[in-house]
Amino acid sequence: MGRQIASLAMHHPRLVFLATLLLTVIGTALIPLIEIDTDPENMLPADQADRVRHNAIKEQFNLHDMIVVGVVNEQRDEGVFNPRSLGAVHTLSDAVAEIDGVIRRDLLSLATVDNITQAGPGTLRFEWMMNTPPQTQAEANRIREATLDLPLFRDTLISGDGEATALYVPIESKDQSHRIAGEIEALIAGLDSGDEYHITGLPVAEDTFGVEMFIQMAISAPLAALVIFALMWGFFRSVTLVVAPMLMAFAVVLTTMGALIGMGYTVHIMSSMIPIFLMPIAVVDSVHIISEFADRYRPERGARETMKAVMGHLFKPMLYTSITSGIGFASLAFTPIPPVQVFGLFVGAGIVLAFVLTIVFIPAYVVCLKPERLAAMQAAGRQRDPEHTPLARGLQGLGGLALRHAKWVVSGFAIAIIVAGYGISQITVNDNPIRWFQPDHRIRVADRVLNEHFAGTYSAYLRLESDVAEDAPERLRETADSILDDAAQDDVALREAWERMRASARADSETFEAELEALGSDLSDRLFSADEAAIPYWESLLTAVDEARGALNYFQRPEVLGYMADFEAALVEAPEVGKVNSLTHLVRTVYRELRSGEPADYQIPESRRGVAQTLLSFQGSHRPHDLWRMVTQDYQAANLWLQLSSGDNQDMQAVVERAEAYVAENPLPEGVTMSWGGLNYINVVWQDAMVKGMAQSLAIAWVMVAVMMLALFRSLRFGLLAMVPMTVSIALIYGVIGLIGKPYDMPIAVLSSLTLGLSVDFAIHFIERSREAYRRTGRFLQSMRSVLGEPARAISRNAIVIAVGFTPLLAAPLVPYNTVGIFLASIMAASALASIVLLPALLSLGRSRLMPDVAPLTDESTEERS
Amino acid sequence: MIPALRLAVVLAAALLAGATQAQMTDATAIVEAANKASYYAGDDGRSAARMMIVDGNGNRQRRQFTLLRQDVEDGGDQRYLVVFSRPADIRGTVFRVEKQVGESDDRWLYLPALDLVKRIAAGDKRTSFVGSHFYYEDISGRGTSEDRHSLIETTDEAYIIESTPRDPATVEFARYRTRIDRDTLLPMRTEYERADGEVYRRMEVTEVETIDGYPTGTETRMTDLDSGGYTVTQFRYSEYDIGVPADIFSERSLRNPPRDWLRRD
Repeated sequence: MGRQIASLAMHHPRLVFLATLLLTVIGTALIPLIEIDTDPENMLPADQADRVRHNAIKEQFNLHDMIVVGVVNEQRDEGVFNPRSLGAVHTLSDAVAEIDGVIRRDLLSLATVDNITQAGPGTLRFEWMMNTPPQTQAEANRIREATLDLPLFRDTLISGDGEATALYVPIESKDQSHRIAGEIEALIAGLDSGDEYHITGLPVAEDTFGVEMFIQMAISAPLAALVIFALMWGFFRSVTLVVAPMLMAFAVVLTTMGALIGMGYTVHIMSSMIPIFLMPIAVVDSVHIISEFADRYRPERGARETMKAVMGHLFKPMLYTSITSGIGFASLAFTPIPPVQVFGLFVGAGIVLAFVLTIVFIPAYVVCLKPERLAAMQAAGRQRDPEHTPLARGLQGLGGLALRHAKWVVSGFAIAIIVAGYGISQITVNDNPIRWFQPDHRIRVADRVLNEHFAGTYSAYLRLESDVAEDAPERLRETADSILDDAAQDDVALREAWERMRASARADSETFEAELEALGSDLSDRLFSADEAAIPYWESLLTAVDEARGALNYFQRPEVLGYMADFEAALVEAPEVGKVNSLTHLVRTVYRELRSGEPADYQIPESRRGVAQTLLSFQGSHRPHDLWRMVTQDYQAANLWLQLSSGDNQDMQAVVERAEAYVAENPLPEGVTMSWGGLNYINVVWQDAMVKGMAQSLAIAWVMVAVMMLALFRSLRFGLLAMVPMTVSIALIYGVIGLIGKPYDMPIAVLSSLTLGLSVDFAIHFIERSREAYRRTGRFLQSMRSVLGEPARAISRNAIVIAVGFTPLLAAPLVPYNTVGIFLASIMAASALASIVLLPALLSLGRSRLMPDVAPLTDESTEERS
Repeated sequence: MIPALRLAVVLAAALLAGATQAQMTDATAIVEAANKASYYAGDDGRSAARMMIVDGNGNRQRRQFTLLRQDVEDGGDQRYLVVFSRPADIRGTVFRVEKQVGESDDRWLYLPALDLVKRIAAGDKRTSFVGSHFYYEDISGRGTSEDRHSLIETTDEAYIIESTPRDPATVEFARYRTRIDRDTLLPMRTEYERADGEVYRRMEVTEVETIDGYPTGTETRMTDLDSGGYTVTQFRYSEYDIGVPADIFSERSLRNPPRDWLRRD
């Protein structure tokens, strides 16, 4: 099969080149349509329940993603609360409000919020906190004291020590945050106040990441190409030969990325790694071909014949390795995370494309080379005698050692597996977009500084919802019926008029609340014209309607607010929670100021009407709409804004668990349900889905590959044997991750499929070639010696190409790429080692069943060719 | 502070004839005449107001209150009493205002559920009126001397006045433009602009009726163009010169609203 295809390709090289070129051109042409997507929300499908709810909560409470700008001054005792610094804050706040994409009315800064305070006995004062910048230190102090005194601002707008302030800049959409953050930086540069300004917040982190992703792709991918080229040149010493796989790798990368973009997929952090994944993987088959071709080529035999022999020999293992690698990646489609699915499927498809191009393009290319060049290449190769390079000697030595001490080797691996098992049990699942940046990145620095000073720059939203509206119409009907019955007994017939009134109110109203209000108005009007005898009943009905309306304002009930306040107090106890902002703080603060202004009056009013009237007082401020971020206008849902000082998913998870534990101990008021929103929560959800999804996809892929191994080797023993190095490698890698405490995050998660797809390749080549040698020699040790020659070299070269090919990721400015780079290199080392050391040892232990010596001992050397 | 939206109220005595005014050319005189037309109709007045507050997402809140007004001096100081009746949970909440031209107003608030009378000292008058898109100042009138006015256009129907604040630090707008009806002298539309000329807030009178001889804006709308939210206020059962006694506008009335004067006939 391989011979025929290679032969066909060598007869029509122009056609092969043209087709490859065409494919590449089309792919490349689509790349400019690229759309970058760093929105972690997209880690979940658009219709995923938690994501839908997150967005519902945002809309319900007018919540927006926020950029946090912190202002710190370590030089002065009074921090930023001095005329100069506050003047700069005022200037900045005004200018930020003007930036396109900033939601002006929700901008939170000292310059945009209200102060509510006592102004002498019996007098309440509402005013802007900092309408104009303070002119004196005394005025600056007054602003500090006033801000510290308001619980909704303390630790949010002003640090608890009274030295730093922050601006919370709500933005229309996350994908503008990098631009807006840039404009804010430009404004800050023009301030000259001597203060330190820090910008952070999840949207900035995510968007900045997207920008740096481009840098990564623009630098790391070409760098990888360069490194791979240099390596291959090092192996083969022939630019002419090495150019072919490079061209082919480019064709694969460009076509795959073009197809991804052209099919309308966005480029996510995962898919941005596709080029750097495909580049080394695409050349591995070529390395096998060239390795053998260079070893076997003799001018007298001719390139065409040599290539046919090489291809006949390598076609099957290459086909299987490509399919298994493809399956390894494609299995990611079984995870519930769309960007990971896209990544897996396209890398898988790219690998298959690389295989197809390898078997047609490389032979076509080689056959077009002038015989003189091939001769020169061969002469160069001769000088280096492939059998006596350090690599060759090392491999023979290593293999020999494994064969001699098979028991030790196997026991060693067994112990390693046990240790790895313990390591795996220690794995902690965690991610934090801020940690995608290097520790000295300004976003990380800002994150650290601001979370030291303030309650937290990360937000989660806990929503409490009441079902009070559900049976409200029924309750009103019952009350009204009893009043109408009483009236009827008194010979006052109201029912008909009442039903008419209800029908007309219902017709004019979209909601039951509106219906009750219309009904209330109609009833008050009716009282003017009613008969004397009917008036008491109409009044009762009006009272019933008003009560029904008031009862719907669930989150104005003092006992409910009391529960919330206790719940919040319990949440703040958690080390992860810096602060909770909610309706209870607003109500208590306004009530305190309505009363004495003293801490003793920081209470929830005793009646629902008291709460309603307290809130009405608040609505006479400059920012009445702030209320609707804490409660819906129907007062049937409340929102607790949790400020977290860490963006770790683990910490968010801990908060969720704490909330659940509290609710288990202290049941929510009847009819109230609790749910979560916020980017930090979304991260927890997809992370959870990812862990479960990865385990499943890994299991599916493992079984599929095992089935393929059985089909390939037509032997249960050899099939399972082929699975050993890969299984061991995966266990070791994850064991190490658990032992060193590296959190299991998205890049780490996809490494399993990579390992699965690549390390089985080594085993396939090793076992296939061992069996071939054994068929030829009939003796175990000779077969081993043979396979530890050229095949082992090709395996090691491939491991090195891939490992080194990924090292440019270490130069990337973003941590996830570095992680992948480091672990890939380790995985390649582990799996190549497992193949070259563990497989011979296992074969040696099982030689009586697997490869018993059947032929007499001869002098046949490894140079012998079939 | 509270009283009827500018339209809510009444028309200046000078307009009683209803005849077309001679063309006026002095901006300040036009603004003062418009102020009287909007806020000083008759010597006193009563009106039942219904407010619908709609936010950018279409959520609605409603308020219902009765407004009593007495002029101390035409075009000068005034007294207001605003008594809320709906939603029921705020029934009996009262605002009392002593408007003092050239000084800040005295405001009192009574919250019946807390049995609390509190004097309110506001830093400025551009805070929300009970959560609506109207400011206190829109309801009781902005002092005509607080801005510089210029007549920028006179059409067949209207005077277009542009006003800029004398003290920009006390207001959030850079300027505003008012379209004053030449017949009624009622400001029919006011648009507030930011420094870059962007209009972010608009007041419109959408219905005018002549009541007791005074052209009265009976429906007015304030739109917040930033959020898309708006508030519509309707004034019903408006009456003028009903002879409200001055002692109604006292602290006693906060706890015991003058029912007879609040009830419409």
